[in-house]
Amino acid sequence: MIVLIKNSPATSEGRRGLKIARDSSADIVLLQNGVYFAINEMLDGFCGTAYAVEEDLKMRGLADIKRGIKKIGWPELIDLMANEERVVGMF
Amino acid sequence: MKLSVLLIKPPYGDIQAAEAVRHAMGAIGDEIDVTLLLVDDGVYLAKKGQDVAESGYTELGESVSDLIDMGCSVLVEKNSMREAGLDTEDIIENVKVVTGYEISETIKESDKTMIF
Amino acid sequence: MAKTFTIFLTTSPYQSENTLTAVRIADSALAKGHRVNLIASGDGVYCFLKGQKAKGLPHAGDLFSELIKKGLKVYL
Repeated sequence: MIVLIKNSPATSEGRRGLKIARDSSADIVLLQNGVYFAINEMLDGFCGTAYAVEEDLKMRGLADIKRGIKKIGWPELIDLMANEERVVGMF
Repeated sequence: MKLSVLLIKPPYGDIQAAEAVRHAMGAIGDEIDVTLLLVDDGVYLAKKGQDVAESGYTELGESVSDLIDMGCSVLVEKNSMREAGLDTEDIIENVKVVTGYEISETIKESDKTMIF
Repeated sequence: MAKTFTIFLTTSPYQSENTLTAVRIADSALAKGHRVNLIASGDGVYCFLKGQKAKGLPHAGDLFSELIKKGLKVYL
């Protein structure tokens, strides 16, 4: 399962998306304001894979974040969604 | 006339940050004394290194620098900045990092406050 | 294998970033040979009004018109 998160860590939507991903051992994709999770400690110890859309990171000045986040382009997001059993969101 | 523009929302995800910048610029054009106050997720407006590339969006980091050049004070609340995972070195030049108390004082001393 | 992507768009064109996200997902999925439907509901229908004049942010009317030419199916 993949959870798409588009809201920032300060919002209930963003937090709920992350909680559901954790509880269900899902991977997450951060896009729009969700990319701010890339610099938030809430993501510490996240067991799944955290992907973030590069265009949305760049817009927000987060192009060179180093933590274990996989930067992806839109075409890779399409492949992820096409190959996954279940895609939930966007939170 | 003193105007405070209080931004609570982060840039790009919704129109609020662009609107805050637009109305701050308009007010400066009308020779109003404008202070842009960035709190909560609004602090991300002052993050260095924004690159809108081919997205079609106006780069709002540049707009912050433009506002400062036009004489607008831009203040970032320190606690919000920390919560947002940002340090002083992540913030655009000449943006002032202040306490929450200073944000409240600025609002108190303003004739009007617009909230975005 | 070609799949079908269905995007449910409920937000107005210039209030949120959903317009750009929907455009990017539709464009990339079509480029990979998938079928893409877009259902506009509620304020989402405003993305498809004629004669939009937008500057400084992605132009919903122009972008979706391009995608319709590339095969996007839009339902209001």
